[in-house]
Amino acid sequence: MASLISYLKFEEESKRKKLWKTGYELRDPNSRSETSWRSESEQRIYSTKLVDALRLVRRNPSTADKVSSFREIREAADRVLAVAAKGRTRWSRAILASQLRLRLANNMKHKRAKVTGCSRPKRLEKKRFSPTLQRKAGLLSRLVPGCRKVSFPNLLEEATDYIAALEMQVRAMTALTELVTGPPVDRLGSTSNS
Amino acid sequence: MNRALPEMLHCLSGPGNGTDITVLERQRTRVKWQHQEQQNYFGVFLEPSQAGQVGNFQDLVGDGRCGSVLRHVVTHSVKPDPGLENGWPELGRYELPDLGFGSAVLMNGSAAGFEMNSTITRTSSCPHTEAQVAPEAKGKVSEPAEKMSSTVGRESYKKRKADKVQNTKVVAEDDAKDKRSKVCAEEGESKITTEQTRTKNTTTHPNNRETSADTSRENSKASEVQKPDYIHVRARRGQATDSHSLAERVRREKISERMKYLQDLVPGCNKVTGKAGMLDEIINYVQSLQRQVEFLSMKLATVNPRLDFNIEDLFAKEIFPACSANFPTIGSSSEMTNPAYLQINPAQQMVACCGLEMGVNTPDLMALRRTISAPVSLPETYFDASCFTQLQPPSTWDADLQNLFNLDSNQGRSISFPSQPFTGSIEASNLKMET
Repeated sequence: MASLISYLKFEEESKRKKLWKTGYELRDPNSRSETSWRSESEQRIYSTKLVDALRLVRRNPSTADKVSSFREIREAADRVLAVAAKGRTRWSRAILASQLRLRLANNMKHKRAKVTGCSRPKRLEKKRFSPTLQRKAGLLSRLVPGCRKVSFPNLLEEATDYIAALEMQVRAMTALTELVTGPPVDRLGSTSNS
Repeated sequence: MNRALPEMLHCLSGPGNGTDITVLERQRTRVKWQHQEQQNYFGVFLEPSQAGQVGNFQDLVGDGRCGSVLRHVVTHSVKPDPGLENGWPELGRYELPDLGFGSAVLMNGSAAGFEMNSTITRTSSCPHTEAQVAPEAKGKVSEPAEKMSSTVGRESYKKRKADKVQNTKVVAEDDAKDKRSKVCAEEGESKITTEQTRTKNTTTHPNNRETSADTSRENSKASEVQKPDYIHVRARRGQATDSHSLAERVRREKISERMKYLQDLVPGCNKVTGKAGMLDEIINYVQSLQRQVEFLSMKLATVNPRLDFNIEDLFAKEIFPACSANFPTIGSSSEMTNPAYLQINPAQQMVACCGLEMGVNTPDLMALRRTISAPVSLPETYFDASCFTQLQPPSTWDADLQNLFNLDSNQGRSISFPSQPFTGSIEASNLKMET
């Protein structure tokens, strides 16, 4: 998994460099991201990857504790979501990077690295917002992972993609839970030959 | 050609222009950079500081082949240069190399009349460029303004704020006068494209040409082109044309566009207007989505031990009624045609229990099965076989199951999962295996 993450990180790095070179893809990705997150194929891809990840999580004996298992599953869900984003967005890269950092820190038996550092919010050079707007922008930047020091318009863009991705995640996980727990499973009653 | 430049440097230093070496150095770098465009802008762009050199060149040229043309070009080009340097940055980038190139051509052309014959022989390597340059120089000389306007109409300009203060007003007025109707028609467009105005006040003629070229494609009021490199803004009528305010407007438009996207995305944002309210809504929505994900992950965590088993049970239960009917027709074909059809079908379809849906779902389930036990290549063949042999007695399935089970256990995979077949008949054996 670590190798996968590192590979993905490398992939995202190269993509990010491409992104930086061509500048931010301002508007097309906005519409593209919305439609792509809403598509069935994306959900399917995410669902399958999620199931794979969950199986891996399940095998891990360290997740016996409920709380840690919750967190593991949440992290797995976020990681898979970030993978599904294909590294186009900042928040997906931040999720993967933070998780990779955590894993490395765990492996090296060091002090657990903080996922969300207390970085001061970036001051907008060109545009001066009112303090309330600044505060709200800071709130939003704390909610979207990896978007602390991002300018406001880019923050909005990241938030757009993040919201779309979150919606897809909720849809997929809802379907998954319904699949698993929804309809009552009657094993013994349905045993009959075809 | 590039080899000629050092020779040129020496040449020019001969007449005593020691200060011009640095200029020629710059020329050389620009020549290397602008190699292709030189023909277009040959000779039109001269630095004012080059005026002295122009005289030198003219003396040196004598009776070169392009000498007359160059002389004409050189004298003609000195005048619009101050405008060029500021007004056409793109063209301005080319200003110097043409001189260098022109001097090379001069050297090349006037072979006989030069004192430095050695240099000429070396510069003879680029006669083709000379031939190219000459007619184009003539063409350029005749219509510098139109060329500029057309290039100005191009969209690869660097943003220059210094001139917008003077120019945008003029352009805005012209545009407003000429294309008001067009503006009204195009204002309803959601996508806005902007172009940067590049004319100088002194040259009103190219100004008009430029406006005509610009308005031929876009409206004047609100146009913003989506360029990855540079943003080109045009000042709207009646608005401040300060460079700062223009930048501010660009940013505001960007932000407002993104807020519109968010408004579409976040439900209930339509009622609230203004950045603060919308931001509140957005924040609430993101928080609620994240809470939902938390809740769902907790739910998944509680049922995780039963995850795979339940999935398979569900699949088996759902699939079983339709197994006999739809399996052979749909299953095989679908699976064959959808190798990448990986999905956990949303539960809604599963619960629907529609016959055809069952048939459709079976390949999904098989694909899901395949993906879930993806590391094991055997399940694929197993499923393929099962696709075609679904009507076989369960004993064969049991045998396959056993094989699968052993294989999986050998590989240390989870046992319960791959051992689950589609039909419910095997469930009993599955239960035995599991327990």
